[in-house]
Amino acid sequence: ALTGCVAGSGEGGPSSSRVFVVRRDQDIYIQTLRKLFNESHGIFIGLQRSEEELAGRSRKAQLVQVSKNYRSVIRACMEDMHQAAISARDPALHSQYITQVSILSAMELIWNLCEILFVEAAAAGLLLLRLLDWVRLHVCDVESMVREVLSSENPSKHELFWNVVDVFVLQGRMDEARHLLSKEASANPMSVNMCKILDDLMKKMPVPSLGNTQTLTEMELKWQHWHEECQRCLQEGTFASNSHMESICKILLGDEDAILEKKELMTTWYHFLVTRLLYSHPTVKPVELQFYAQACMDLFLGGESSPEPLDTILIAAFEFEMHQVIKECSIVLSNWWFVAHLTDLLDHCKLLQSHNLCFGSNMRESLLLEYASGLFSHHSLWQLGVDYFDHCPEYGRAYLELHIERIPLNTEQKALKVLRICEQRQMHEQVRSICKIMAMKALRNNRLGSALSWSIRAKDAAFATLISDRFLKDYCERGCFSDLDLIDNLGPSMLLSDRLTFLGKYREFHRLYGEKRFSEAAKLLLMLMTAHIAPCSFWMTLLTDALPLLEQKEVIFSVEQTYELMRCLEDLTAGKSDKQKFQDDDVENIKVEMLRLALARNLARVIVKEGTLEGS
Amino acid sequence: QVSVINTVDTSHEDMIHDAQMDYYGTRLATCSSDRSVKIFDVRNGGQILIADLRGHEGPVWQVAWAHPMYGNILASCSYDRKVIVWKEENGTWEKTYEYTGHDSSVNSVCWAPHDYGLILACGSSDGAISLLSYTGDGQWEVKKISNAHTIGCNAVSWAPAVVPGSLIEQPSGQKPNYIKRFASGGCDNLVKIWKEEDGQWKEEQKLEAHSDWVRDVAWAPSIGLPTSTIASCSQDGRVFIWTCDDASGNSWSPKLLHKFNDVVWHVSWSITANILAVSGGDNKVTLWKESVDGLWACISDVNKGQGGVSAATEGQQNEQ
Repeated sequence: ALTGCVAGSGEGGPSSSRVFVVRRDQDIYIQTLRKLFNESHGIFIGLQRSEEELAGRSRKAQLVQVSKNYRSVIRACMEDMHQAAISARDPALHSQYITQVSILSAMELIWNLCEILFVEAAAAGLLLLRLLDWVRLHVCDVESMVREVLSSENPSKHELFWNVVDVFVLQGRMDEARHLLSKEASANPMSVNMCKILDDLMKKMPVPSLGNTQTLTEMELKWQHWHEECQRCLQEGTFASNSHMESICKILLGDEDAILEKKELMTTWYHFLVTRLLYSHPTVKPVELQFYAQACMDLFLGGESSPEPLDTILIAAFEFEMHQVIKECSIVLSNWWFVAHLTDLLDHCKLLQSHNLCFGSNMRESLLLEYASGLFSHHSLWQLGVDYFDHCPEYGRAYLELHIERIPLNTEQKALKVLRICEQRQMHEQVRSICKIMAMKALRNNRLGSALSWSIRAKDAAFATLISDRFLKDYCERGCFSDLDLIDNLGPSMLLSDRLTFLGKYREFHRLYGEKRFSEAAKLLLMLMTAHIAPCSFWMTLLTDALPLLEQKEVIFSVEQTYELMRCLEDLTAGKSDKQKFQDDDVENIKVEMLRLALARNLARVIVKEGTLEGS
Repeated sequence: QVSVINTVDTSHEDMIHDAQMDYYGTRLATCSSDRSVKIFDVRNGGQILIADLRGHEGPVWQVAWAHPMYGNILASCSYDRKVIVWKEENGTWEKTYEYTGHDSSVNSVCWAPHDYGLILACGSSDGAISLLSYTGDGQWEVKKISNAHTIGCNAVSWAPAVVPGSLIEQPSGQKPNYIKRFASGGCDNLVKIWKEEDGQWKEEQKLEAHSDWVRDVAWAPSIGLPTSTIASCSQDGRVFIWTCDDASGNSWSPKLLHKFNDVVWHVSWSITANILAVSGGDNKVTLWKESVDGLWACISDVNKGQGGVSAATEGQQNEQ
């Protein structure tokens, strides 16, 4: 979600000292939609990786399955949202959830239709059956009434009995309609004959078959005959004495007015459309839908109400204007989830011509980029966003680079997670940047060891030098090292910076001394100065470290080495001007004197030792 | 579709001139005519005052956050001719550097891409642009471009860092050869592009289209294309989008985003440069996006009513 801040300013007034933090597309923060985002992510990835080699029917079946999976996730989310609405105490929250439920419901409605028309691309015959299923799934206002009548003791005596029969007929649920009709027949001997005839008509109604048992032409022929039979019954006045049954017969004949009369039982214009098609043109072809859709909507709304965004979208779908569907949905919906995933699916169905947007990208990618960008401002959903960017071949990487740098690295774990993602994708700049940020953070919190290991990982020589200096400073002040483990195990990364090398070697010196490997320690100490690994500022400390070695019972430094030490000391003191020497406190001067004395003594002892022949 | 998710009562005693969120959207820095700079922690819809920085002696015009790899650093510039760099050390914010080399109000500050080091560009009413580079150990080096804009410079904005040539990983410590550029806007109604050559800053381009003072310039982030994009806004109510198609930076062409009814104060790009926020004297902040046919369309507006809006900046804000 895009976030920004806006400063209120003006000539005084309450907003003059306020800053508003604003955000666009807040949906990703709705807790109950998390499931939608998480599970659809899995479906998305599966689709990207799915076998493209499957051709024809099997590929289509695969894509239809993916579409169904998306829809079931939407429905599951709707269910959760519904539960949340029920348990919400706060009326504002409750209504918010209810709104969400209706939005999700609309999304599922649209998606389902797109699945039928675009993904499955149901041909004439099958098309009507699918549309009937679609309508049946999305008419719920009548369900309670149906239940009520069916569960009553004497259904045919129920005042809503005929309403329910009508509902079944309108939805093409012939068997259920016939079942109810039989109840009427047994309850009312007067209408037995009429019921039998109507039942017969319903039984004989030809429907498109799923198998290949009949061709479309065959079906059309049968249907024509059946239609004529219904016509005869009506004209002969068979149902004249029962207005309900007569109206049903008219519906069977596809009489527009008779069907429209049952508006309240259909509730939507697209129900009306499908019912009309069922009873006037059941073998309708996909391309013919557009000739019916707008007209049915106009008739149904009848000038009383104007089309809502949902209606516009459905019309666009019936007219096979895919791009229009996507565009309208983008405008109406408050998040990119729907259009991004639907467009991606349609793209996999090879249905979208590539529209060259200004940046040369295509619609699929631009929607996915929008959606994934939105995920990035969420503290955990951003991880899903990474995968989406991965599947945007043109700008995904650039977008990922820009977004991933903005993820707050609150914890070490999170930083490591982000790093792993960058490393997997060879995003070296981002790796370096993140390591530097973590190093700086650690340093600010005085966690020198952590700062050092981050700067090594960042290959940041300058920072490593800075931190090494801090370590050394700490040592001088406290006489011991922190984070020994880290320093002891630097290995080749020691070479990152001279100061770091010195730190590592200096620690090694202490280790050797601790293990009483004095001559090795001595050699190392000397080397640190003569090879100029040690900074000049540290020489005094090193020489002071040499003191205990000089004071040992056993002579450690050789003549050569002693002369070297002396030279180092003289270099050090010579470097200071007289003024500096004067300003040095007594402690410094005493140290120098002690060193000179110790060195001289050592020299004396070692000359004697080296001058003495073995055994003599 | 734009909703207010947090209202921060800054308690500034006078007009707020700038409000900037940090890199992660966790902190908000504001500055005001009351001479103070304030920093708030705005995580999870909260607003905790972290620092109230005093040091300027006049209205503070802008604030800018440095890249987090340098620590928590904020720059501010003011009518008092000073640029102050503030840093958080041991949990407290302190002045770490003060630059007083301008002869007049300093109107704009902008940090360079972190790849170049810690460098701050400052634009002033004395017509000069100064570049302050941190060289280490508390030392800053100053380079000045005098007479960058006659009468005064109102805005500076850096171009994103793009390494010319191949993208082979450089050995540690070695800096790739970046070509540093930034854009500036001034009272001479011009937008200028500056390029560093052999350590010297030279005027590379003069972009003419505005008929009044340029108030803000914003160089769009890069998504890897060879094109460069700059947004500029002016006292003349116009916002232009300038694009340059070739990498050598020679031919810039302007496209008018919109002509507003009042002065436009600020322009600001989203992280991936697909949306531009514009704020102006007509009390609104509008968001703009380039459509399929290359035209810019307004996709949202934020109308905060009573007062005007003086700054809009974009970033991301994670909820923790």
